[in-house]
Order: sequence, then structure tokens, then C-alpha cells
Amino acid sequence: MTTFTDPIGQHASADDPRIMLDNQIGAFEAVPPYPPRTEREAEFYSLRDGEMFINMGPQHPSTHGVLRVVLKINGEQVVDLDPVLGYLHRGVEKLCETSDYHHVISQVDPLEYVSSLFNEWAPVMAFEKLLDVEVPRRAEYIRVLTGELLRISSHALFQGWMALDLGGLTPILYSFIERDEIVEMLAAITGQRMLFNYFRIGGVNGDLNHEFMSRLGDWMSRAAKQHEANIGLLNENEIFVRRMRGIGKVDKDTALRMAVTGPNLRASGVAYDVRRAHPYSVYPELDFDIPVRGRGPEGGDSLDRYLLRLDEVRESLRIIDQCLHAMPDGPIMARLPRLLRPRPGRAWAAVEAPRGLYGTYAISDGTDQPFRMKIHDPSFVNLQLVGMLMRGNLIADTMAVMASLDPVMGGIDK
Amino acid sequence: MDRTLRARLEKRFADRMSGPVRQRHDTTEIRIGAADLTEVMTALHDEPDLEFVLLADLAGVDTGDHMQVVYHLWSARTPDWLRVIADGLPRDNPRIATLTGLWPGAEWMERETYDMFGIIFEGNRDLRRIYMPPDYTSFPLRKDFYLPDDAARSPGGGVRHMERTHVPTGTPGRVARRTVKA
Amino acid sequence: MSSISRSLGHVSPAGKVIIPLLVVVFVVAPILTVLVGAVIGPWLLDLLGSNLGIVRFLVAITGVLLFSIPAAFIIIYMELKVIAYMNLRVGPNRVGPAGAAHSVVAGLKVLSKEDFSPANADRFVFTWAPVLVFLTAVMTFLVIPFGPGYVDPATGERVGGLVGQDFNIGLLYLFAVGGMTVVGLLLAGWSSFNKYSLLGGLRSAAQMVSYEIPLTLSVVGLILLAGTMSLTEIAHQQEGWFTSWFVFRQPLGALIFFIAATAEANRTPFDLTEADSEIVAGFATEYSGMRFGFLFFAEYVNVFIVSALMVTLFFGSWNAPVNVNDILNQLHIAPITVDLDPGSLGVGLLLLVMAVPVALTLLFGLPFYLTRSRMPAWQAVVIGFVLFNVVAMGIAFLLAYIGLVWLAGVIWFFIKSFMFVFVFVWMRGTFPRVRIDHLMGFAWKWLLPAALLNLFLTATAIVVVKVLHP
Repeated sequence: MTTFTDPIGQHASADDPRIMLDNQIGAFEAVPPYPPRTEREAEFYSLRDGEMFINMGPQHPSTHGVLRVVLKINGEQVVDLDPVLGYLHRGVEKLCETSDYHHVISQVDPLEYVSSLFNEWAPVMAFEKLLDVEVPRRAEYIRVLTGELLRISSHALFQGWMALDLGGLTPILYSFIERDEIVEMLAAITGQRMLFNYFRIGGVNGDLNHEFMSRLGDWMSRAAKQHEANIGLLNENEIFVRRMRGIGKVDKDTALRMAVTGPNLRASGVAYDVRRAHPYSVYPELDFDIPVRGRGPEGGDSLDRYLLRLDEVRESLRIIDQCLHAMPDGPIMARLPRLLRPRPGRAWAAVEAPRGLYGTYAISDGTDQPFRMKIHDPSFVNLQLVGMLMRGNLIADTMAVMASLDPVMGGIDK
Repeated sequence: MDRTLRARLEKRFADRMSGPVRQRHDTTEIRIGAADLTEVMTALHDEPDLEFVLLADLAGVDTGDHMQVVYHLWSARTPDWLRVIADGLPRDNPRIATLTGLWPGAEWMERETYDMFGIIFEGNRDLRRIYMPPDYTSFPLRKDFYLPDDAARSPGGGVRHMERTHVPTGTPGRVARRTVKA
Repeated sequence: MSSISRSLGHVSPAGKVIIPLLVVVFVVAPILTVLVGAVIGPWLLDLLGSNLGIVRFLVAITGVLLFSIPAAFIIIYMELKVIAYMNLRVGPNRVGPAGAAHSVVAGLKVLSKEDFSPANADRFVFTWAPVLVFLTAVMTFLVIPFGPGYVDPATGERVGGLVGQDFNIGLLYLFAVGGMTVVGLLLAGWSSFNKYSLLGGLRSAAQMVSYEIPLTLSVVGLILLAGTMSLTEIAHQQEGWFTSWFVFRQPLGALIFFIAATAEANRTPFDLTEADSEIVAGFATEYSGMRFGFLFFAEYVNVFIVSALMVTLFFGSWNAPVNVNDILNQLHIAPITVDLDPGSLGVGLLLLVMAVPVALTLLFGLPFYLTRSRMPAWQAVVIGFVLFNVVAMGIAFLLAYIGLVWLAGVIWFFIKSFMFVFVFVWMRGTFPRVRIDHLMGFAWKWLLPAALLNLFLTATAIVVVKVLHP
């Protein structure tokens, strides 16, 4: 066993409360108690005249989870921003290395807990590639159906969250009503309301049943009108629109260079959606469009990101409709041995989660546990945009911009 | 499986690749040495017939005897994913060039790889730990990582009994030694 | 003695407070009163009688102070319930019937918390800043007229009036005292030794100072029309039908006043000082216990004040929208008056008082007993008694309303004030927050010119009317 002596890691922890208390002024300062380790840290933690640090989080009503953001402000204007992660780090990748291939599915669920079927989808696809398994068509259709339902639910929650961060107390409760209906539907087939543990290698766990179909039918009959009502809820409100328009502009080139994916990329004018760019499952057979906003030279702002997610809900409703009509009969799971030992190899699979490209890189070494499971989470990459977008805006806009990027800390911290 | 992509890659990077171009399902894979990374990536990004504009993933891998950094890219010109494996990083001093010149969004992904493996990305302006606290002394995803050993040296002192009593020899003084009354 | 101390030792902590209290109230106080009254009673009454003005003033301010707390309780409860129903949920429904005792219990909870201040906070200022905020909120109650007085038949002058003190510069007093709130908030933010609080305090100071100017200017037009700054005079000038209310003569002024008052009271959409999704609780982040209780109550007292002001200045104060006696006069019917003289009944009154409640109880209970099988007789009697009480109270209320002008006035005042409070609560449940730069821009670029425009138009109109009808 080699002990790796890391010259960089000898400093005291910035979270140790004994050290954080500055003896001279007797207050907790956001500045770390050691000299800056990197160029960026030096740049950030040096104050000019009139600037001060404000620490938001990790306990904060609006940071979408346990995120700590250190803001350098000059009056009411934000000069720079440094997100500090790791408060929800659970070591999922390491845990996957010591779990069976089947167990990985429950390990990976709580990553983006708001839309957890997608967290399962990419690993399951990667393992199916390692094992050369073909998934039955009915299972693929069920995967698409439940995935799109969850996408609608996630975007509904985004809408409420965005309004809550801007100060409106009511839309979040409407979002939760919508989310509750969808989640009850999914609970009828998966048995769970949130961390579904539904996809399996080679198919899905349970077939559609009567309760699911009746709830789905009920919901679909109201869904289009409800969507119109949701659009009308906030789009006409002058205060909302003024707080979102022109804030957080991202143009096409910047978005691609920051490796941003998902609605944030599509709201900057790039028509990239994994379902169309690199089709998987039965998406080639389905007819849907990719909404894109912010095609101008300046790109898209928060309002474009907000409206784009509403457009995507419409497209998801179309997909659900087609799935229901085209659902084939057949088995829902491929026949596989209990103990899975794929041949040594490597596989990469990516799906379009509601927040962006969610990918898994799996390496198998011939045993019944994956040798390496790398999870690429879209919110992790998207959150880098906040630091870039916040220069020069006001503190209140920090929340608006972060909410419009729709991060989920579970995925960011893995 | 895109045969034309394979042909294009073999033609362009014949001298850089340290192995054949592998294709399986919908992914094409090339292996290069760590020193050639910047050149290969710039070529992949800029050349008009390759045009891999989207960096999908940046992963570190510890194969047991050496380390790798694995990149996944996507281009509108080919239906395949491209996997670039920068192979052969030595375990006791893994260093590789940074991608932040081409993709500034790779900064956090490289931070994560450094935090989990200890791979140093030269040229990254902000190579500090991202998940673990800044005083953490080991790299969790390495194959030689042993949790109780590491926890005993952290300021939290370890939570479980085993973590406090198992102190490796040669650890300097700050650790509390407990004796168990059997 | 030892047995008493032993039994006191067995008493619960709550009992240790209540038993001495009961002893004081029921034993010590009557004895003292009798003694003191007998000895210095006449002299005391003489003293009070000769300084009636001061006595009235002291009683008025005590009443006003005591009134503000229940008002705050009611408004807090209303806010919780109304916003809950707007959010499609239920709100407090456990404590008391339909959760009505929730705010009282919340007040008690806040009183029972630990008294601490942050380590490096300025202890003195930290303690007294909330007091200042609450004080300025409650002091404004002094000049608000709750009800009309009566016309003295001998001299023909108006006497009395349900108002704390009737200044003839009432409005000026209001704005002066309201402006002190800024000082209190700033002190609260600064003394907490916390950057969030500081930010919140500065934001609130900027907001309140900016919105005071349109607030004051929007009312100047009204002052020109009414010719007085006294609130009771303004209320009297809105007598008669609702068309005489000032809102129809100063619509722009009313609108500006409403918006500026929302900002002064730190209500949504202008509630950045307590924006809880950005800077936690703003200037009140470090406060807990009764200090926070003061700040919290001060906000709701402020809401009531601005609603009451809105009503007094523009919506007729204690006047009913229609004057029933006027209508009856037009139709040549005698006005409704209440001219009861129960003493003229003599002994018959005694028989009435004994017989009527019993008879009505049985009468109201009878239908229930007859139509519902298996209802025990005593249950029907209880129902009848409750109904009799309801009917009797209703009749008494109606008689009081017709007979006592001030009661009618008070009821209308509260109805109208609480309607405006409802509007404020409605806005809180509906609107998001504006940003600080939008807020300041709106005040200086839109409200201030609009208020000046209103003033200009009013003054011009007055001059023109004077010229045309000298």
C-alpha cells in the first residue's frame, strides 16, 4: 500500500469551525485560512477597495440543495462567484465498484433525485452494451413513456422552483400538484414515488398495469389544458419577465465551449439533443421536434431557458401520445442469468436527462462488479456557467440565474 | 459503427495512436499517449472534417498499474461517439495537459479527476479539490485507497472505533491513540 | 405556615405562577382598592375630574396600545389562512377552532424563547432597535379615527369621536412618526454584526426613504381639497353617500398612495428587506425570541395602519356607503330610530325578562325535537338556547347599530380596513418580488412624477373652479 503524500493537501480544512473564526474581528469569514493554492483562488480571494465576501449556504432556502456559494460583492453588485461543492458527496462511483451490476441501479438512483429514471437509464444502457443484450421493444417503449412522464414532472418542478426563487410563493404548490399526479402514476408500476429503481439490465421491472393506465388516461385528458394554464401562469407577469429577461445571456459558442448540454444549450441556439443527435432506444421511430431558442448572436437569457422547458413539455406530451398508441406486446425483460459477468471491455452510453446529457462510462474486467463506473452529470457542468454569468449582476440575480440553469445537487456532488 | 470515421482517424493520427482504432456498438475508440493530448484534441476540435465540438465526458481511470484519462466527444459529422484514451500515466506522478484551453468547461471535470485520482492537469488555473475537504490527504478512487487508514488522519478523527484504533506506523503525532480494554 | 410551603412545593411550575397571581387579583387587590378608595378616593376623583383632558389622553393611548396586539394577531392569522387557501392548502387548523388560536400561541412561543444576542453584537442597540420599530408603528394609531362623535344639541358642535387624539396636523404627525421606522431598521441591521443583516438594513433604508416622498406628495392633493390635515375632519368631509369619498376626486393620488404604502410597509412585491429566498431574513436574521416578536408584530401593525389610512383618507373612514335615513327621507318615510324606554313597562319588564328567554328557548328547540327522532330532550333545549342567544344578540346588535352612531361607524371602519388588509395579503400570495434597482427606478422615475402631476392637476382644478364659481 503506497501512501501518497500530497503537498497540496496539508492545509487545514476550510470547514473546520475552530479555524474559521477570525480572532481579530471575531466573526466567521468566508476566506479560507490558508494561502491560495491556485491562480484562480488567489484571484478570487483577494479583495479590492469596497468589496466584501458574502457566504450563501450550505443551508440556504434557495441554493437547490446543499451548495455553498461565496460571493464577492461590491455593494449590491456581484463581482465574482465561487461555488464550493462536496456537501452531498456520497462516493457513488466508489460504491458502484463494489456492487453487483444489478445493485448499481439502486446506487445510482439518488444522483438526480428529481428525475431518477434517467439516472438508471444510462448505466443500464452501458451494461447492455457490455453484455450485448437486446432489449425487447415493449420494454423500450415503456422506458420512453416513463422517461418522458418524468421529464414533464421535472420541468413542472423547475417552473415552481424558479418562481419560488424569485419570490412568488404560489406556483411551487401548483407544480407539486402536477408532480404528485405523475409520481402517483409511476408509483403504480414501480412501487416508489421518487427513487424508482425500475429499470433493469435488459428491460424494466414491472409491466404496465390497470391503475397506471387509468391514472395516465385521466391525466392525459387534462394535460394539454393544464399545460396551457401553466404557461399562462407566469408568462404575462411583468415582474417575472423583467427579472428574467436579459439576465444570464449565453451565446452559442460559449455554451459549447463550456460543455453545457440540455435545455441550457438549446436555449443558446444550438440544436443539440441526444435523442436526435445520437438516437437510442426507440426515439428514431417517434416523431417530435427539438425546440430551440436564443438563435440570435447574443444567445439566450434566463427567460429563454424558462420558455424552452415549457416547449419541451409540449413535445414530451406528443411523445407520450405516440408511445401509447404504438405500444407493442411482448416481454418486458430480456432473459439474462442472475449473476452477470460481462466480457472485459468498455462501454459508454448517454441519455437526454431533463437537465442535459447524462452519461455513463463503464469498464468491466470480467468479474461480477464493474471495474470503473464514471458518471457524467449534466448539472455538474452546467453549474460552471453561474460563475461566468454572474459577473456584474445583482445579488438577487444570482438566485434567478442559478434557478434558470436548474441544477440538482445530488447529481453535482455525486 | 462508422467505417469512414475509422479511416479518417487512422489517416490523420496514425503516428500518435498507440493501438488500433476499436469500434464496438456505436463508439469508436482511439488510444494516445499523454504527451500528444493537446495536439490530438486541437485537431479533433478544429479540423473541418472532424469537428468534434462537444466534450461529453472527462474521466480518470486507475487500471491498477497505470492511470488513464478518458475523453468522450461528439461530432455532427459522424453518428458515432469518439472515445479518446490518454494512456500510460505513471501512478506515482500522473500528469497530463489540460483541456481548458479548448473547452473551459472542462475545468471542473479535471478538478474532479484530480480530487479522485491525483492526476495533475498542467495548465488548469484552478486545480484544487472539489468534493473532498482541502486538507484531505488521499485520493479516493484510486485502487490503493483504504478508508480507515485515511480517516484516522483527518481532523474529524474517524467516526468508528476501528478508524481510531487502526493507526498506521509512522504517522506523525496529531492522532489520538486509544487502547481498548479487552 | 409549613404546611402551606409544603403544598406549594408540590405545585407545578405553571402553578407557581398562577396561584400567587390569583391570590393577588382576588384577595390583595380588592383589599387595597377598598382601603385606598376610602382614604384618598374623593381626592383622587377630584384630581382626575379637573384634568379630564390628560386622563382621556392616557386612557386613549393605553387603549391604543392594547388594541394593536389583537389586531396583529388577527392579521397574522388571516395571512396564514388566506395565503394557504390561495396555495391550495389548508393553513393552521389544529390550535383552536379552525386554527384561530394559532397566532396567540405563536406569540406565547416567541415570548418563551431564550434571550440571547450574537457574540459581537452591540447589545444595547440590538435590544432597543426592535422596540423603536414597534414604537413607531404603534404611535401612529394615536391619530386614526375609529368612529364619529356626536353633535352636541346645545351648542351644535361636534364633540368627542373615537380617536386617540385629534390633532389638526394629524397627517403630518403620521408621516413624521412613520419616518422613524427607517432609523429602527437601520439600527437593527447594523447592530446584528452580520453581513446579511447589514445588507437587509441598507436595502430597507433605501427603499423606505425613496417611497416616503411619493407617499407624502400623493396626499398633498387631498389636503388641498379638504383644506385640513386633521384626519377626523377629512373623515367628516366624506359623510353622506359613497360618491363623496375622496377616491373619486383623487383617483391618481389614491393609487400612488396605495403603491407607496405597500413599499413603506415592506409588503410584497416590495419585500426585499425580508426576502427569505435571498438573504434569509434580511435585517432580522440574528433576532429571535421577543425581539423578533416585536419586529414581526410591527410589520403587521404597519399593515393595519396603512389599510386604515387608505380607508380614512380615500374611502370614507367610518361612513357607510349609503345613508339609509337619507333614502327614507326621499321616500317620505320616517327615519328609523330606536326609542326604547324599558323602564315604562314597570313590573311587566321583570315578567318579560323571566319569561321570554325560557319561551324562546323552548320555541326554537321544539322543531328539532319534533323532526329528529332519538334526540334527547336536553339536547333540543341546548340547541334552542344557543339559537336564542344568536337571535337575541342579533337583535341587540341591530338596535345598537341603529341607535348608536359611533358603533355603526366603528363597524364600517373595521370592515373597510380589513378589506384592504385582505388585498395586501392577496398581493403577498400572488406577486413575486421586484429587484432593488427596479424598485428604486420605479419610485424615482414613475411614482414621484406621477405624484407631482397629481398635485399640479389638483391645484389647477381648484383655481379654475374658484375662478368660474366665485
